[in-house]
Amino acid sequence: MTIELKDVVFSYPETPDKSVLNIQSWAVSSHQRVFVHGPSGGGKSTLLNVLSGIIRPVAGELTMLSQRLDQMTNRQLDRFRANHIGYIFQQFNLIPYLNAVDNIRLANQFSKTIPQAELHANIIDLLTTFGLDETDRDRPTEKLSIGQQQRIAIARALINKPEILIADEPTSSLDKTNRDVFMSELHAMVSETKTTLLFVSHDLSLSDSFDRVDSLADINTAERAY
Amino acid sequence: MFAKLALKSLLNRKGSVFLTVIAMSVSVFALLAVDHIRSQTKDSFHSTVSGIDLIVGARTGSLNLLLYSVFRIGNPTNNIDWSTYKSVAANPKVAWAIPMSLGDSHRGYRVVGTTQDYFEHFSFGKKQTLDFDTGRPFAEVFDVVLGSEVAKKLNYTLGTNIVLAHGLGKTSFSLHDDNPFTVVGILKPSGTPVDQSLQVSLHGMEAIHNPRQPATKLMEQPLSAGQSTQVLFEPEKITAFMLGLNSRLATFNVQREINTYSREPLSAILPGVALSELWQMMSVLENTLRLISGLILVAALLGLTAMMLASVRERQREIYLLRVIGAPPIFLFLLIELEAIWVSGISILIGAAGLSLSLMIAQDFLAANYGLHIDANIFSQGTLHYALLVMGATAFAAAIPALAVYRSAKIS
Repeated sequence: MTIELKDVVFSYPETPDKSVLNIQSWAVSSHQRVFVHGPSGGGKSTLLNVLSGIIRPVAGELTMLSQRLDQMTNRQLDRFRANHIGYIFQQFNLIPYLNAVDNIRLANQFSKTIPQAELHANIIDLLTTFGLDETDRDRPTEKLSIGQQQRIAIARALINKPEILIADEPTSSLDKTNRDVFMSELHAMVSETKTTLLFVSHDLSLSDSFDRVDSLADINTAERAY
Repeated sequence: MFAKLALKSLLNRKGSVFLTVIAMSVSVFALLAVDHIRSQTKDSFHSTVSGIDLIVGARTGSLNLLLYSVFRIGNPTNNIDWSTYKSVAANPKVAWAIPMSLGDSHRGYRVVGTTQDYFEHFSFGKKQTLDFDTGRPFAEVFDVVLGSEVAKKLNYTLGTNIVLAHGLGKTSFSLHDDNPFTVVGILKPSGTPVDQSLQVSLHGMEAIHNPRQPATKLMEQPLSAGQSTQVLFEPEKITAFMLGLNSRLATFNVQREINTYSREPLSAILPGVALSELWQMMSVLENTLRLISGLILVAALLGLTAMMLASVRERQREIYLLRVIGAPPIFLFLLIELEAIWVSGISILIGAAGLSLSLMIAQDFLAANYGLHIDANIFSQGTLHYALLVMGATAFAAAIPALAVYRSAKIS
């Protein structure tokens, strides 16, 4: 299993008795593409933050790539996230004042999985794959269209060749054309790199090409309280 | 990548960063200016009185005597009889003596009436004597030797005729225009008040102040063979004189003899001691100026802290993004610190460059009006220390927003 959660509970320190996340058992296999849907406030972001090690569960076992995240030190969690997880948000994916190349280079800064000598060539390859013009590569990303920014976000998330890619409502700010382009590029890249994809969205129309579709309401028992 | 990220982040917030840089630059300017002017003034004063054992003038305070005789600041209280000078100069313990008569000026530059001994014995810096750029010392009554700055600023060359004025103002209504002087020599720059002075013979000084008849008429009188026209203008009074002794050990002895001179009240001072008194008096002002510039720096650093704290609140998404791609909290702490160091470094450069430029512009004004020779090159070990101090203080001040980011980034 790539991702495995067992009796995972999360609650905020201010309200320790009120759990936001309560997952008894949930797992994702290697190279699987999983679509998770649920309404706003259902604990989607909390689940993704727990999976990426930004926040720690207060109880339970969280295993990713055969490593127990709940037993790691903060430093180990940071390193694990940099080396094994790629992340795409719905917006604010990039540092707006850096150009595409520097945004992607920055992601490698904390991982160092790619030797410095090969890094630039890899970045250019990725950007070319995602159809970003040479002139747009050196412009601050805030000057680019939302569609271009999301494509750079995929490139940034994949530069370190992560085993797991987490996408948090990445198409919500895109129009239909850009959304279709984004989804097809994402699936193509994930298939090619054999990356496990965890895609979270409220838009069920996007779930067609996934191996599995899960409802957060079924996974998270704490959600019912909302 | 780290430094680039910090710099680009600052450039992304140009408006607030610009204002902070300006505030920091002003504080750096004030801090460096106080220190540089203080050290340069001390160096300038010390180098001007090198090699002089005693300075003698009419009875007055030691500081007043030192300032008007050497640095051309302030005015003498009284004159000394020429016979008194001759008597002291004849003392066997005295190696050389330089008489000086002050009180006249030319277009704001002070005139010093003196003798050839001035060019022979007056020394500055590391016992350097005055050197001529062109020409020679004065030989005739109406010869004048110019300091380098006077010649440069007034564009005078050898042979130029000039008229001295009574008094020290830039504009005078009492000109000695019936007795013009001719430039016979121009001195090399010395970095002392000599550069801002015109040197004439005591006889020349006496000639233009002769109340009996015009000097030119007197000079028409027949002289005996080998006699110079200078004999016609034997000085009666001088303002002060400098002494060099045969032995330093005799300094206090000669000083006591002069201070107890019975025929007229005199003051003999040791220039080094008088300068120490001056620095002691100035230390209160120095400390006050340092305190003020320190407070300006503190105010600027508080502004920097406020700007950084505000930026941290605006950049929550950016910080979160950096966390997600694997940036540890210490990276974010150092990023905020580095941004502050960038602001501080740029401010130091602007402050230092601004000070150098200001000194370059004000150099002549300070020299002409206050006798202060301040070098526009401010780069020294002291400057480096202040730069490091500002950097350190900046790192300390930036620790507040940096710690706020660090705490919020720590995994809970």
